[in-house]
Amino acid sequence: MLLTKEALKLDLPLTATRLKRFIKDYVRKTKAKGAVLNISGGIDSAAAVAIASLALGGSKVLALSLPEKETCNSTDIKHTKMLAEKFRFNLETINITNVLEAYYKSIPDFNPKDALSKGNIKARVRMIFLYYHANRQNRIVVGSSDKSETMMGYFTKWGDIAADISPLMDLYKTQVRQLATHIGVPAEIVKKPSTPQLWPGQLAEQELGVKYETLDLVLLGLENFIAPEEISEQLDLPIKLVTSIKTRWLSKEHKRRAPLTMKMEYRTIGTDFRLPYTLP
Amino acid sequence: MSNEITIALGQISCKVGDKKHNMETMNKIINQAKQRKADLVAFPELSLTGYVVRDRAYELAEPVPNGPSVRQIEEIAKKENVHVIFGMIEKSAKASAVLHNTAVLIGPKGYIGKYQKMYLPTHSVFEEKRYFRPGYQIPVFETEIGKLGMFICYDVYFPEVARMLSLKGANLIVCISASPSVRRGFFETLTAARAMENTVFLAFINLAGIEDGLQFWGGSRIIAPSGNVISQAKYDEDDLITARINYSDLVRVQAWVPTLRDLRPEIFSSLREEAESL
Repeated sequence: MLLTKEALKLDLPLTATRLKRFIKDYVRKTKAKGAVLNISGGIDSAAAVAIASLALGGSKVLALSLPEKETCNSTDIKHTKMLAEKFRFNLETINITNVLEAYYKSIPDFNPKDALSKGNIKARVRMIFLYYHANRQNRIVVGSSDKSETMMGYFTKWGDIAADISPLMDLYKTQVRQLATHIGVPAEIVKKPSTPQLWPGQLAEQELGVKYETLDLVLLGLENFIAPEEISEQLDLPIKLVTSIKTRWLSKEHKRRAPLTMKMEYRTIGTDFRLPYTLP
Repeated sequence: MSNEITIALGQISCKVGDKKHNMETMNKIINQAKQRKADLVAFPELSLTGYVVRDRAYELAEPVPNGPSVRQIEEIAKKENVHVIFGMIEKSAKASAVLHNTAVLIGPKGYIGKYQKMYLPTHSVFEEKRYFRPGYQIPVFETEIGKLGMFICYDVYFPEVARMLSLKGANLIVCISASPSVRRGFFETLTAARAMENTVFLAFINLAGIEDGLQFWGGSRIIAPSGNVISQAKYDEDDLITARINYSDLVRVQAWVPTLRDLRPEIFSSLREEAESL
């Protein structure tokens, strides 16, 4: 298998059709009234809210913009409004700064310098707002996690990953960009550098240590059982970089699965209790 | 035996684990197909239960032919005067935890026979060997609507199944399937190949809809012995197609591409030897 940009090329009309059908089908089967998503102004949430709006109609989609004072910026606000106008979904903005500060004050040994632990509170608080609206309004939570970040464990456990369905989770970041462009997400959002917005100035590619164009090809190679040595040779990358990506991918499995339990009985949740999604 | 028959393919999506719902769907489709003068109505693999039933397979299984669902389809087939093929989880009459992935053939006079899937995919998203015992028989049924053979989905990758059916005289092979979208290209090629290499009519009936994030791609089709697609259903969505086939066409194609005449049986024993030492 050749690890080239071509290998990540999608049949875009087919991909869009299938994702729309998937969202619509799930909403219908769960008898939900619509979807609720977090919108940040970034590429993943823009693609997710756009495809959900195209699937269900914007009137059935509620996008929650949940800014907080440390990472809030005018560009993201502008992009969020631009998307709402284009895809005609309902946009609600709730400033979560007060909630976050209440958490910071309530945790006895809270350390403001521990940016990761603090940032994870932000992602988890956003999840609480999403599920509150889902419960109150009989909506499903549509996640916007992509395959690159999910494989790398580059998300907050029980935070931004939390959702009822994640339509984009089998698409690498560069594929989400292709899809977003195809369905009409404005180019300035597609081209904007990705950030989880857990602290000011945080940039995904900087933290991951590699550009998404490269990362996606390495991950595609690993997905296809290609040995790190061959990936390194094909992409002309240091073997150390490829093995570090592989190690990170494997070591984050705990973030992607239901909590591990000790096998004690006949059938065990998460291992050999194998049930289908049974919808009402 | 009629020389000309009308085949209907009921490309349905199933409600997973809900036999009552799926039976009602099949009943409705049989009724619609009969209005289009169908002699045979075929449904996808595991159409009685849905495909992704996982551990629920044990509670959903029934004996064949002495189970309630076969009896129910027998009544429908009798009332509508039609042949029906559908897919279900079969529970062994001898051991209740021994299951098969089975295609059942029922005629206007009742149960005719069954085929138990021989090749059980257990890779990628598939986990069939975890639940099913493979079948060991490749029967052909002489019916009023032709000499029928059946196989199921992944069996299409193993040309010996269709070859055995054609060697036993089948002139119509029905492949019931639950093939997810990532496999579409393979199936479109392989189903045509199985028809051509055996010079038989082949009806491929696939599931539609989404189960556990798997989009079943539909695209059911009736393929002529020449490999030409006579009729094709929509991709991904529920559909019902019918086509009229005439068995007289077989002579013309078999004379033009005489694959059965040109078979080399002496290769088969060395095939076995090579396969055993793989």
